[in-house]
Amino acid sequence: MKMAWKEIKRNKLRYTILGSIVFLISLLTFIISGLANGLSQDNASLIKNLPNGTFYMTEDADETYNFSTIPETQQKEILDEQPDATFFSIQMGNFIDEADKQRSVAYVTATDDTYFPDVKEGEVILDTSMEEEGIAIGDEITNEQWNQTLTVAGFVEHEKYSHSPAAFISQADFQELFHTDSMQIGFITEGAINDTAAFTDLQPFSNSDFLNTIPSYNAEQMSLNMIVIFLLVISGMLFAIFFYMINVQKLGIYGILKAIGVKTGRLFQMMWAQMLFISIISLVFSILISQLFQWLAPSGMPFHLTLQTTLLLSIIFVVIGFIGATLSGIQIKRVEPMQAIQQGEM
Amino acid sequence: MSLFHMNNVKKTFSHGEIEEEILKGIHVTLPEGKITALTGASGSGKSTLLTIAAGLQTASDGHISFQKEDLTAMRNEKLRQIRAKQFGFIFQFAHLVPFLTVEEQLALMLETAESPLSRQEKSKEIREVLELVDMWNRKDAYPASLSGGEKQRVAVARAIIHNPKILFADEPTASLDSKRSEDVMKLIQKLSKERNITVLMVTHDMDMLNFVDHVIEMLDGKIVKK
Ligand SMILES: Nc1ncnc2c1ncn2[C@@H]1O[C@H](COP(=O)(O)OP(=O)(O)OP(=O)(O)O)[C@@H](O)[C@H]1O
Ligand SMILES: [Mg+2]
Repeated sequence: MKMAWKEIKRNKLRYTILGSIVFLISLLTFIISGLANGLSQDNASLIKNLPNGTFYMTEDADETYNFSTIPETQQKEILDEQPDATFFSIQMGNFIDEADKQRSVAYVTATDDTYFPDVKEGEVILDTSMEEEGIAIGDEITNEQWNQTLTVAGFVEHEKYSHSPAAFISQADFQELFHTDSMQIGFITEGAINDTAAFTDLQPFSNSDFLNTIPSYNAEQMSLNMIVIFLLVISGMLFAIFFYMINVQKLGIYGILKAIGVKTGRLFQMMWAQMLFISIISLVFSILISQLFQWLAPSGMPFHLTLQTTLLLSIIFVVIGFIGATLSGIQIKRVEPMQAIQQGEM
Repeated sequence: MSLFHMNNVKKTFSHGEIEEEILKGIHVTLPEGKITALTGASGSGKSTLLTIAAGLQTASDGHISFQKEDLTAMRNEKLRQIRAKQFGFIFQFAHLVPFLTVEEQLALMLETAESPLSRQEKSKEIREVLELVDMWNRKDAYPASLSGGEKQRVAVARAIIHNPKILFADEPTASLDSKRSEDVMKLIQKLSKERNITVLMVTHDMDMLNFVDHVIEMLDGKIVKK
């Protein structure tokens, strides 16, 4: 007999309140996690878009890409051994658009167009956020220090670095503008490495290690992840407290059920079934709403929540709820039939 | 050997330092298929004796044999099975499960007693017993909407639906008026006869003794009269 379900049906208000709380907490967790992800995309999509591989910087650069210099001769030597390697440089800077407005961007150039857009000399390709800001294809951009202009040749989606839109320019222009003919960073995909000896004197970084060298990235992600973890812990405690309260109110019933011979395990099953039922319904609602939010969120808002992340968090919620409910259920094990019988009418 | 026998059963409760002996060596044999009433002054230990006999709390000393097995030496799980399958209980208050309908209360008891009956046989049995206690027309009602007497009749039905060997009842009529009390007593008497159920029943009400076969009187933790 479905006692769990029958009890929920007879106590709709109580279980609706519990469900709403689970719903709100999980929705909040999903949204914070979406923001954490969104900010990380906003901060470093240029790097996050690259496949898994290894990044290289010079050792004396001390993990700071600005200080890393891989001269052309060394690039050639490496490319002889590892033709799939790419070298690129990033330089934070700004330009003045046709409306005389100053724009901060991250200038990026690369030795080939495998991972980055192909740009001709005298042209620039910008992140789409610049298009939303009113810049159009064919616009001329310049800078006080330059004695030349660049023409906007196109836009690419989701290419940002250090919260700034990327501006891809040709190697020649990069050398001209920033007075350097070396590159900062080498990159090669996981499968392509066949001779690590080619990269002597260079310090390797995995994708996530490299992301952590971006100054703001680490701190930002850590605080957001802490919030998500706290929310998960709090929701676990809420589960435990709520089931504790519900169980305390039901001790009399549990005692009577035990007196007539119902197994303690059966009572636990009943509680687990209720916990699963309530949390799964609440989670389905908050998954739907968080996905809707993703869809409706203003485009300027850094929000990025994959279904995968949501499902993973949901599983954690269910596990935590299960632990919380089970801990509070220890009272069920303790209750003596006699207590309930002596308590009188319920 | 008889069906149910208590031999020198003692019960001591300790309130901190002070130990109080509530049952002082009880010897009781329940005649099979008969109703035995337990009377005595308030506080003399009747409820304690009944709940120990029913395996709801443990004795401090002595032995209780049921179908040649010693309840006092039994593991909890075995005792639970005996409570579920062989015993029925009626308490002073009905103690029905608030979120189950009248019919579901009985279904739960059958399920708990691991009744071997088929689905149809179970519903037939439930119907029969509910008609017996005159509650079939309220089978879909929840306890909250029943009167005290109706609840107690459902409690009686729940106590016997699984055909227990022994029915333990602690003042089953205390919360009812005299007309309803008589109805419940007649019902217990009828069930005991029809189904050969052995009954041990605590009562204060001397009028109820008309319906029983034996009377045991308790005073101060001892049996004074049989
Ligand atoms: N769990 C317990 N802990 C301590 N003392 C108890 C406990 N249960 C019962 N007693 C004591 O045992 C004595 C007998 O109680 P019991 O309930 O058996 O009496 P009774 O004969 O059923 O009385 P009544 O007719 O009023 O129901 C009382 O003094 C009571 O205080
Ligand atoms: Mg009593």
